Amino acid sequence: MPRYELALILKAMQRPEVAATLKRTIEALMERGAVVRNLENLGERSLPYKISKHNQDHRRGGYFLVDFDGPPAIVSTMMDHLGRDVDVIRPTFLKHPVSKTEECSGIIPVNYEDKLYTKKK
Amino acid sequence: MAAAATLVVSFRGWGRLQQLLGAGKGASAFCAVLWRRGYTSQQELEAHKVDLPIEMENPYKDPPKRCVLCGINVDYKNVQLLSQFVSPYTGRIYGRHITGLCGKKQKEISKAIKRAHVIGFMPVVYKDPTFLNDPKICDIRHPE
Repeated sequence: MPRYELALILKAMQRPEVAATLKRTIEALMERGAVVRNLENLGERSLPYKISKHNQDHRRGGYFLVDFDGPPAIVSTMMDHLGRDVDVIRPTFLKHPVSKTEECSGIIPVNYEDKLYTKKK
Repeated sequence: MAAAATLVVSFRGWGRLQQLLGAGKGASAFCAVLWRRGYTSQQELEAHKVDLPIEMENPYKDPPKRCVLCGINVDYKNVQLLSQFVSPYTGRIYGRHITGLCGKKQKEISKAIKRAHVIGFMPVVYKDPTFLNDPKICDIRHPE
């Protein structure tokens, strides 16, 4: 099962309501056969731009990150489900980023002469 | 003397041989035959090769130049890093000639910034004011 990351932006609400929303979301994920690995709270901050959703304008939001493994079919169904949830401003499913910091050999100098001029064989 | 003679034969042309034959006082008959023919035996070739410099890769070569992000993982989540490559006035992504990044990293940064825009992590038309006083990597007035 591929690993996904759900970047979730929730409406700026009181703590118990936020908790309830998160619980609903994660239960929905698990119903559809996902295994949730981790839930991170990136804090409540002001949004970079005004987002209008569900007939409301939002300027502040709570940022959350859900790390989970699930079947690929989950993405479309969950987007549908989260689209209908009033408390969710912007849900985004991403493939879990593979942090690859392998040997970066540095800038290899390119021989421009060879690149630009075709040598006669 | 023989070694010197053979070296001279290999580096200079036939035309000089006349002078050398005259100059080489201690030359034996065998050497004289060699000079006329203009070839050197295997032993002399090896003796000749020992004197040449040993072939090796330049030991004083500089290590390959690295760009600022070489070895650093680029993620759409660290908005601070991404904001360093964006104009503070318009929020536009700086080009390769200004950031000085290598091809791979420039592409990664560009993709991450656009992703952060869509997801709602990073502002689009301006640079987040809290990151305005970060160390300047890209100076538009003095590119590269």
